[in-house]
Amino acid sequence: MSEKIAKHVSELLKQGKIEAFIGLKEQQGSKHIIPHIYTDGDNLDGFYTGFNEGADAKRYPLVKTLFHISKRYPEARLGILARGCDERGLKELYKWNQLNTEQVVTVGLACSKELAEFCECYKPYPDEFVEGEKVPGVDSERVKKVSALEEPERLKFWLDKFSRCIKCYGCRNICPMCFCKECSLEEMEFIETGKIPPENPIFHLTRAVHMAGRCIDCGLCEEACPVDIPLRILYKKVNNIIMDHYSYRPGFGEEKSPLNILGSRPDENNS
Amino acid sequence: MNFSNVSTICPYCGCGCGMILQTIDQEIINTLPSKSNPINEGKLCIKGWNVHDFVVSSQRATQPLIRKDGDLKEVSWNEVLEYVAKELMRIKDQYGPDSIAFMSSAKCTNEENFLFQKLARAVVGTNNVDHCARL
Amino acid sequence: MAGLAAAFGSGAMTNSIAELEDTKCIFIIGSNTSEAHPLIATRILRAKEKGAKLIVADPRKIQIASYADCHVQQRLGSDVALINGMMNIILKEGWEDKEFISERTEGIDALREMVEKFTPEKVEAISGVKEQDLRKIAELYAKSEVSSIVYAMGITQHISGVDNVKSLANLAMMCGNMGKEGGGVNPLRGQNNVQGACDMGALPNVFPGYQKVGDEKVTEKFEKDWNVKLSRKPGLTITDMFPAIEEGRLKALYVLAENPMLSDPDLKHVKKALSALDLLIVQDLFLTETAQLAQVYLPGVSFAEKDGTFVNTERRVQRIRKVIEPLGESRSDLKIIQELSAKMGYPMEYEDPSQVQEEIARLTPSYGGITYSRIENDGLQWPCPNEDHPGTVYLHKDKFTRGLGLFHAVDYVPPDELPDEEYPLALTTGRIFAHFHTGTMTRKSSALNKEVEKGFLEINPKDANKLGILGGEKVKAISRRGEISIEVLLTERMDEGVVFLPFHFAESAANVITNPAFDPVAKIPEYKVCAVRIEKIDEKKEG
Ligand code: SF4
Ligand code: SF4
Ligand code: SF4
Repeated sequence: MSEKIAKHVSELLKQGKIEAFIGLKEQQGSKHIIPHIYTDGDNLDGFYTGFNEGADAKRYPLVKTLFHISKRYPEARLGILARGCDERGLKELYKWNQLNTEQVVTVGLACSKELAEFCECYKPYPDEFVEGEKVPGVDSERVKKVSALEEPERLKFWLDKFSRCIKCYGCRNICPMCFCKECSLEEMEFIETGKIPPENPIFHLTRAVHMAGRCIDCGLCEEACPVDIPLRILYKKVNNIIMDHYSYRPGFGEEKSPLNILGSRPDENNS
Repeated sequence: MNFSNVSTICPYCGCGCGMILQTIDQEIINTLPSKSNPINEGKLCIKGWNVHDFVVSSQRATQPLIRKDGDLKEVSWNEVLEYVAKELMRIKDQYGPDSIAFMSSAKCTNEENFLFQKLARAVVGTNNVDHCARL
Repeated sequence: MAGLAAAFGSGAMTNSIAELEDTKCIFIIGSNTSEAHPLIATRILRAKEKGAKLIVADPRKIQIASYADCHVQQRLGSDVALINGMMNIILKEGWEDKEFISERTEGIDALREMVEKFTPEKVEAISGVKEQDLRKIAELYAKSEVSSIVYAMGITQHISGVDNVKSLANLAMMCGNMGKEGGGVNPLRGQNNVQGACDMGALPNVFPGYQKVGDEKVTEKFEKDWNVKLSRKPGLTITDMFPAIEEGRLKALYVLAENPMLSDPDLKHVKKALSALDLLIVQDLFLTETAQLAQVYLPGVSFAEKDGTFVNTERRVQRIRKVIEPLGESRSDLKIIQELSAKMGYPMEYEDPSQVQEEIARLTPSYGGITYSRIENDGLQWPCPNEDHPGTVYLHKDKFTRGLGLFHAVDYVPPDELPDEEYPLALTTGRIFAHFHTGTMTRKSSALNKEVEKGFLEINPKDANKLGILGGEKVKAISRRGEISIEVLLTERMDEGVVFLPFHFAESAANVITNPAFDPVAKIPEYKVCAVRIEKIDEKKEG
């Protein structure tokens, strides 16, 4: 555990470089770690610093929270705790004109080897970081295993997993890359409403296709899925296909996804 | 700018999932599943995810009302509480405490249920108190 | 609740949610778990992945049934016969836990005699479940190392609701599945704080903590603490309240955050009764159907505008926290009750809900060790009698709350109303995934309304065909009590002869047609079975 990030954040706030910092907090007298927005550099009570202990339970969609705040306060300068995935998410939001680079100050955090392996993350660190050490990216064994299944088995694997879906929309709600005003999962022409499981596999394929060239592989969707569908395998696979065919990975570089066929207007406000 | 993240419990089914409600300037803008709650461990169902939608519903009725000439009319808290207290006392005196009944709620907190049955038992003097969950 | 209390001495869920994940066999009966208790279904699916066996007994092909090792579709209201049939086979095969029965229970002989009558042939005749399936579920349940029973309103909302529960308790005790991890009989509470409302004595016959009204020692304890004389006479249950209004015995009714106009089994009747009151006080968030009949409306607040505790279905007392200030003029329900009480000459002085909890702990032995500071983290599962007690994960460990577990010889009683020539279809009611209870909360949500906007009636395509009805067509559903018009949804989920109506929608309220006949002990109405007739709406007449 280190206080580096806390000190850094405190200074940013005190020097007026940011107006608010989106991070995590240890709830008073409790073990709950929840998102928190710090606005006073002298008061970082409960500031959570155990980021790299254990693999799960402490990641929240901070980027999405920042996104919500920026809609209300487009002028405010906001700091955010950013792991590799968070940074990828921010970069995509900049590309899609959902967020202004000027508005955001990232406070980088490199993930532990344990977390990187849990996530099978290809870049478990942001470009710059205040805390942690760079550990190498990890190839996904899970994707390999599922891809290795013969056709009928693979179909069965996925249909079986999807059949559990209870249509909570949690995978979409928590996703930092889901910011569309009109969500295609709610298009009644495609997907009949009012029943679970939703049409199998249309519901899941619709989302997978929509995430192609967008998903920054944070894995929050899978962690939020109440029926343990291995969604991250699906979206990683989609990412790999985009990589193989277009040499493109969301969250890297300045270019937009090659699948951005229609293009978007710079003033587009999609929220 | 005023933000908060408050951890609380889902108001719907008996699972009792932990959730975090996010606010900006006193308005609830989002629901997140609590990752450290031992029941739901970072997951919610569709009802839980949409909790923030009903709290701020424009259909909330937030004025005390008394029926006058057939219609419910807005009144002050003082007037409404005086009226209720007076009427309950009148009915109790006229017909006895068992002519009054209390229907409590499985949606309310323990503390509210406790005080509500105390109101029935200790103040009005009747055990006519039940809750709708049998139904 | 009454059924479990009679068998074990406590009516609460015996085991915990997380335990389900590691049990060896789960028997779901009368619970559409994935729609009504999704986060419990999570654990069940995980158990399944880990190799547990899954039995589902439900008249509908609900989602979770597709993962079952065996799914039986018993006829509506035939649960006692089904369970007795399972026990008949278990005893014949010698699969019962003899040691457990002799050491920890009483009353087996009468039960033995009763279940002897429930031969597989008889059970098939009553329930429609074939002998081989009955045998299979009996074997899966009895021969697994440890088995857990999960049930919900599909079991309790019958005239034989208490008997149904007693039967499940019989089954669990017979196989020694009580008082151990991963076992038990587990009622899933429909609403967030049903458990808490019961625990807190919002019941006509008990004080908080199930301490009996009329028990002299208990009553004196409360009299002393509250400094007032208390009535020793048990009060009216909700089901008894409406007749009492009609007979003029009940003049005033104070309704806290409930909507009996939608939740009560016989709507017309309720409306008449509520209108006959001298004084109807409704304290709620919305001007509900019930509030619109009131003389007085008191604006309370939602869970997000107050502090307090909820108790989930596994007896876990958890903290809810205030997120925003009360909207408009609304006030916290605690404050309203306190102010009213003061105006009635009995001031209740609490600064905040934690002080109310202190009084609860003082007067309620099972809550004795629960304080706000202790429940910041994970909450605490009662019984938690003192400050050092860690709470109780599963009940009845070495001893039942009542001492010995009591078997009840339960006979099958048919539902109050069965299909006949005039009303040929059996109707059952229940929940759907996107809405909750009477819809007062969920139907205010645009996202949920988008998912399911209005009520519908599920019917098997063959039945629809016979009636000449198409999917999406508006029809009349008529029972002896009333009629509603509603769109039909054709689905194989339903067996022939059975239709399903979700109960969340006021404009097609299920309780216009459901049967108000109720269980004589628990006073829970038979929402799960009644007889109906479906009629096409004559388009010419309706325009
Ligand atoms: S991993 Fe899931 S939540 Fe994260 S960006 Fe991809 S789709 Fe969205
Ligand atoms: S999170 Fe899981 S259950 Fe929920 S909609 Fe997504 S896939 Fe379905
Ligand atoms: S989120 Fe869903 S499963 Fe969890 S308590 Fe709420 S209604 Fe129940």
